Amino acid sequence: MSKFVERPRYVCSLGGAVGTIKVLPRTVPILHAATGCGGNVATALNQAAGYMGSGYCAGQALPSTNTSEREIVFGGEERLSEQIANTIKLVDGDLYFVITGCMVDMIGDNIHNSIKQFNGGKARVIGAETGGFRGNYYKGYEIVLKTLFQDFVEKNPAKDKGLVNLWGVVPIQDVFWKGNLTLIKDLLVKLGYRVNTFFGEGETLEDLQNSAAAALNIVVSDTFGVEAAQVFEEVHSVPYITVPFPIGDHGSQRFLRAIGNALGIEKAFVEKVIKEEQARYYSYFERIADVYSDLDLQRYAVVVGDSNYTQALARFLADDLGWLPGLAVVTDFLDDEQKDTVRGQFNGYESGIEAEVVFDTDASNVGKYIARHWGQSRGQRYFEGFNPGFILGSAIDRDIAEKLGVPQLTVTYPISNRVVLDRGYAGYSGALRLTEDILSVLVGNR
Amino acid sequence: MDYIKEKTPPIREERLGACMAFGGSCCDISNQSKKGCLFNNNRTFSQSQGCQLTLSLAILNTIRDSVIIVHSPIGCGANLVAQAGVSKGYQKLRDPNAFGLRWINTNLDEVDVINGGEEKLRSAILYADREYRPSAIIVMNSCVPALIGDDIDTLIEELQQQVAARIVPVHCEGFKTRIQATAYDAVYHGILRTLVGIEEEEADPVIIDELEELKKRYRISRTVNVLNVSSMSRSDEQGLVKLLQSLDLNVRILPCYAHPDDFEDSFEAALNVSICATHDDYFVEHMKSKYGVPFILRTIPIGIANTNKWLLDIARFFGMEEQAQKLIDSEVRELNQALAPYRQFLQGKTAFLGGGEIRIITTAELLHSLGMEVLGLRGFHFDRYGEGLLEELMAEIPESEKAIINIGTGQPFEQANLLSRYKPDVFVGHPGGNGWANKQGIPVFPLFGQAYDYMGYVGVYEVARRLTRTLKNTSYSQNLVKHVRLPYRQDWYAEDPFAYIKQDLAL
Ligand code: SF4
Repeated sequence: MSKFVERPRYVCSLGGAVGTIKVLPRTVPILHAATGCGGNVATALNQAAGYMGSGYCAGQALPSTNTSEREIVFGGEERLSEQIANTIKLVDGDLYFVITGCMVDMIGDNIHNSIKQFNGGKARVIGAETGGFRGNYYKGYEIVLKTLFQDFVEKNPAKDKGLVNLWGVVPIQDVFWKGNLTLIKDLLVKLGYRVNTFFGEGETLEDLQNSAAAALNIVVSDTFGVEAAQVFEEVHSVPYITVPFPIGDHGSQRFLRAIGNALGIEKAFVEKVIKEEQARYYSYFERIADVYSDLDLQRYAVVVGDSNYTQALARFLADDLGWLPGLAVVTDFLDDEQKDTVRGQFNGYESGIEAEVVFDTDASNVGKYIARHWGQSRGQRYFEGFNPGFILGSAIDRDIAEKLGVPQLTVTYPISNRVVLDRGYAGYSGALRLTEDILSVLVGNR
Repeated sequence: MDYIKEKTPPIREERLGACMAFGGSCCDISNQSKKGCLFNNNRTFSQSQGCQLTLSLAILNTIRDSVIIVHSPIGCGANLVAQAGVSKGYQKLRDPNAFGLRWINTNLDEVDVINGGEEKLRSAILYADREYRPSAIIVMNSCVPALIGDDIDTLIEELQQQVAARIVPVHCEGFKTRIQATAYDAVYHGILRTLVGIEEEEADPVIIDELEELKKRYRISRTVNVLNVSSMSRSDEQGLVKLLQSLDLNVRILPCYAHPDDFEDSFEAALNVSICATHDDYFVEHMKSKYGVPFILRTIPIGIANTNKWLLDIARFFGMEEQAQKLIDSEVRELNQALAPYRQFLQGKTAFLGGGEIRIITTAELLHSLGMEVLGLRGFHFDRYGEGLLEELMAEIPESEKAIINIGTGQPFEQANLLSRYKPDVFVGHPGGNGWANKQGIPVFPLFGQAYDYMGYVGVYEVARRLTRTLKNTSYSQNLVKHVRLPYRQDWYAEDPFAYIKQDLAL
């Protein structure tokens, strides 16, 4: 049984669906939900996501039936049909995606009755039930992907050996998703592939529609988008692999080798790509040698966030930057099997560092784990402790950083204290951005 | 008014007959409203808005030393994730030791939807009390538990015996009303039932110190509660306090950023002064019927005319009109001198406004007094309080009768159509929907902001000064309009902006 969550770092599945659809090109979400649900998630998908903005047709512009008591009692299907028809009339899009809130799901409105009426029309209308009690943001992402793969991606038995699809970097919930997708795509392009990321720069709905031609689906996560990959495989016979989200040299090496393996790329070629990336990476990374050693910038660290980021950050800190990330707090809703998989991603560090991995959704507990891991000062003269420490987490974790007097960088959701545009932390170049951001905090007062 | 014995407050559609969808001239809406034939119309196309739960948080996330429990699936109250830093900063302005925002979501899932969510709420309340030892635990009820029949009031009654914090239930289920402002009633309802006057029955001391008693009575006779709104700045608040102090009044500020204990003896006041009827009518009416505290609810101190009215109304109550008039004369004289260069710059510039009825009507007056022309207004909803203020505006500025008025919460598609038609020099809008105007190439001045002054005499100067700054360089919006487009099809801009408003009942 699930429990309450203290200061949750995600909205509900409805919010996840809105967030995912909002950044899909030329796609218009239509909400069939109680009056407030759209507005309720709007700020969370904007100001808590590095000021991502309202998007093309979300925020206050998000079409919504604004269902109230009358429809709850008498049913809201008619109102939904009217709303879909008028949305198509008013809003310029190529795909209209109906999603639902809790109340509508609970009273048993069947959105597919309404959607059916638009079959064969000029506009494509699809839909899914996404009521918030189904889960958190990631669940909404999963449902939207599944629906797209099932109802929008066109069947195509012919496969294109040079084409792969990639997802698992969750838009908006990963505030740097767009930069990250670009960076990861660049790596795969270097391996000689064309890549659909659906949500990244320059992607089109057409690419998504034709994505069944891909030779492989790459899910850059062991937790997010995996169910959708299974659906894709069932419907379109495209196999998939899951690989951990990579940040930095060590993470990216593993990533590139895993992809090379799965695609049967010649090993020597993969190694050549890695060498080239490393050459550029270390030509910048070496610049901080002076400041790193002069000021002793090695730190103990805690990483707090989702299962994609925590493992990638910890590996980067331990193996690239040479820090001591002793504790990782993973804040996702995960079942036991998923927890085992996630735990496994914190193994095999080149540096030999081992991080304690805990699964906890409650923000207040982060401080308790830090105290448990590093001990609590009782004013004794000789004391090891979390010092010098650094916290990589969300805006919520500023409270504990402030309390402990340690510096902090906000990299996981919610991010309300930074503006994020095309920045990404993935791969080699992303890790340079991250290095800049982390060390800038440390030299920020100079 | 007496709804306090009920567990839940009535909705504003019923209590105030508020209107949610309208398009026409100021003169039209005024006539229809006066005749009582302004109905709660609907739209055949609508865009998302908040619910009373989301707006309740506007007050609740300011209350110090409390924990908010949102009893709902994981998404309701989601905007809190963006508010934590902001709320903490502003709480600290009132109390440097304030903790900031602490909240819990009960995370109702598919199992709870069938089996009920009371146990999760119970564990959340007990956890909040144990973990934080707060003064108040605020429980916000949402749609799902209302539909599955959770009895949060009985549970709270039971738990109140076990926990140290006051538990404040707030019934703000979103689906019940489309008028978000019902939120304020929901919040005040909870506060009135659980925080106001709770320690009343303390035994009287055996010997009553008559002198002390007299002093206390005198103090109360000079105490006013000023009811603030979370959309105003701390310095706005301080500015108003200063004005009232110059009339020798003690000022108590409620409800935003207050400590839960501050409500306890809030009935020990000579007068309740609202600065926004949309916000406070439910509270002041109940304070009057339950504790006999009279109130002033007429207007918000925005612009010279309305600040004067606001101050004079209060002064009149205390028989200090003359003193107030003197104060006003000297304040206005000094202000007018300071405004001269800005008036020159702003003269003839056009504006369109959007936001809550009270703010937009009074801000329209302010802009007019700076020499600007108001082309139109968009109000979230419209009720008798808007009617009164609009009446005064049209009496003072006859040409405002012709101005267009559109009622709707959000609904930026109507805004886009209106702005492309009227092409104002500036859009003065409620935060949340302003980016759309910017993308149309129209510079934006936010209707309010927690970091800026808008109220009283200083507020007039500050608005004039900042508005002038806004208009000195409009390159940002000029760039946007060249490279970004809004989602609406081109033919929408040629259509009647109110084409999707459906008259609910035949007139
Ligand atoms: S309308 Fe209901 S379900 Fe939606 S956010 Fe508001 S309280 Fe939650």
